[in-house]
Amino acid sequence: MKSSKTLYVGAGMLGLLALVAIFAPLISHYDPTEQDLMNTLLGPSIHHWVGTDPLGRDVFTRLIYGARVDLAIGLSAVILPYIIGVCLGLLSAWKGGKTDSFIMRIVDTFLAFPFYVLAIALVFIFGPGIKSIIVAITLGGWVAYCRIVRSNVLVAKEQDYIHAARLTGLPDRRILFRHMLPNVISQSIVFAMSDIVLSILAIVSLGYLGLGVPVPTAEWGSMIQEGQPYITQQWWLATVPGLMVVYVGLSLSLIGDGLVARLER
Amino acid sequence: MNPPLISVQNLTVEIKTGRGLLKAIRGVSFDVNPGDAIGIVGESGSGKSITLKAILDLLPTNARVTGGKIFINGQDVSALKPKARRALLSENCAMIFQDAIAALNPVIKIGDQIAEVPRYRLGKSEEESKNIALTLMAKVGITDGESRYDLYPHQLSGGLRQRVAIAIALSGDPKILFCDEPTTALDVTIQAQVLRLLKELRENSGLGIVFVTHDLAVVNELCDDIKVMYAGKLVETGTVENVFTRPTHPYTFSLLKAAPDPDKAVHRLFTISGEAPNLTQPVTACPFAPRCFAASDQCQSSEPELLPMAQSMSACFHSENHVNWASEDSQKSVAR
Repeated sequence: MKSSKTLYVGAGMLGLLALVAIFAPLISHYDPTEQDLMNTLLGPSIHHWVGTDPLGRDVFTRLIYGARVDLAIGLSAVILPYIIGVCLGLLSAWKGGKTDSFIMRIVDTFLAFPFYVLAIALVFIFGPGIKSIIVAITLGGWVAYCRIVRSNVLVAKEQDYIHAARLTGLPDRRILFRHMLPNVISQSIVFAMSDIVLSILAIVSLGYLGLGVPVPTAEWGSMIQEGQPYITQQWWLATVPGLMVVYVGLSLSLIGDGLVARLER
Repeated sequence: MNPPLISVQNLTVEIKTGRGLLKAIRGVSFDVNPGDAIGIVGESGSGKSITLKAILDLLPTNARVTGGKIFINGQDVSALKPKARRALLSENCAMIFQDAIAALNPVIKIGDQIAEVPRYRLGKSEEESKNIALTLMAKVGITDGESRYDLYPHQLSGGLRQRVAIAIALSGDPKILFCDEPTTALDVTIQAQVLRLLKELRENSGLGIVFVTHDLAVVNELCDDIKVMYAGKLVETGTVENVFTRPTHPYTFSLLKAAPDPDKAVHRLFTISGEAPNLTQPVTACPFAPRCFAASDQCQSSEPELLPMAQSMSACFHSENHVNWASEDSQKSVAR
């Protein structure tokens, strides 16, 4: 009972933000990139709910347009590593032997680099932009799914229902995807929820380092970076985008918690 | 003459454990022919389940067949590629497990699980497969199959689950059904129903059965032949009638004595004291000697072989003496 409440609250919070992001043009009549140099660094008011930035852009508008970018990249930067990781994890544990060692050594190689070092280096190589951020996060992110699924498959492989399926002579493909997969992915789905937070954090951090989405696109990380010099006077410039990250993180971890209780018997 | 359906010859299996290499099976040989009903009995750790798993190529990753040969239809399975071996196995053998809920996939409807082999291995159409599944459900005594087709395993009672598992096992039309204590987890009435079902299947469709259990009564009920396992070896084999009336190995004798007799009121059931030997150590004596009432010095110096007796086979130095055990033993109990 309690777990489904957490799930619904989290999903509601995230859904609300998604709606605001989707209907951003209806909610705010400002353009997120239009400068108004006569009205820079204004404080919060009825016209500008979170004030304006050093270039006179409406911060509230930039926040909700930024949600589009951050949520979209966050989600797409999890889907690819999820698919790659789950497939390789399945293959690795199912085949065992040399295939398993080979894949696990690749995993070890990726794990040897701290995630951010790897991501920064990759974005640096590919050049800043949404595509290279997704590629960088994918290359750094699939290893976790691979390991989670592999360990679940190793356990499930010795279960009687897999033994039974193997003995009845069903094709491998059928056993893997119909019998094994639905029973081993719940943990990785839960992890994916917290991983979306991690990739949004990564996007924000890359944005903060100037390796993120190119200016002038509104994006929370670059907004924090741009607001930082004004932290003593116009503190909301850097703080509110940070709070947005916290909000998304909170809603996703609530979803994750709810899913744990749902999926794991 | 046709070769036996399954022939196990001098099979040895070793298991890697934290405390060293465990010789779980130490040379087991037997044949299974179509229509046979064989009971393999022994206590936990005697190697009866591992024997089954070795035959069916389902050993856990830390266990390995280290010697001996397994023939199916006269074909040496160790010479086959994994794919061909599995095809040969699944064509001839099926298995039902102790815990039906663990042997059924929790996320697939029971009807679909039964229809799976016809559909994906035998290449029947979806319609045909469903009909086969419904027929099988009726055959194993699942009434109202049409409405139960879409249920999930957790929605069924223990007895029904085991019936579903049996239906799945039968779906590939096997010649031999391997049963790994399929009635142990069930209560006695359901146990009786499942046994009756297995008996019917055997009588009506000539299905061979290899039944692993520690329950002697079940073997008596269902099987023609019995093989008693102890410490990874067969210690006595023969027909159920011979072995039950004239056990020629002290272990079998004690096992039969330990089974409760409903006609006799006893204060306390007989138990075999001590425990099974540690098989990570090499065996130099009769492994049952420390627990045996008939043990002598000879039993400490070497391990007896399984040798033919008048009616059955026994691995004991003193098996000629078996006619006297009943009287000797009762005197001993009185002296105690």
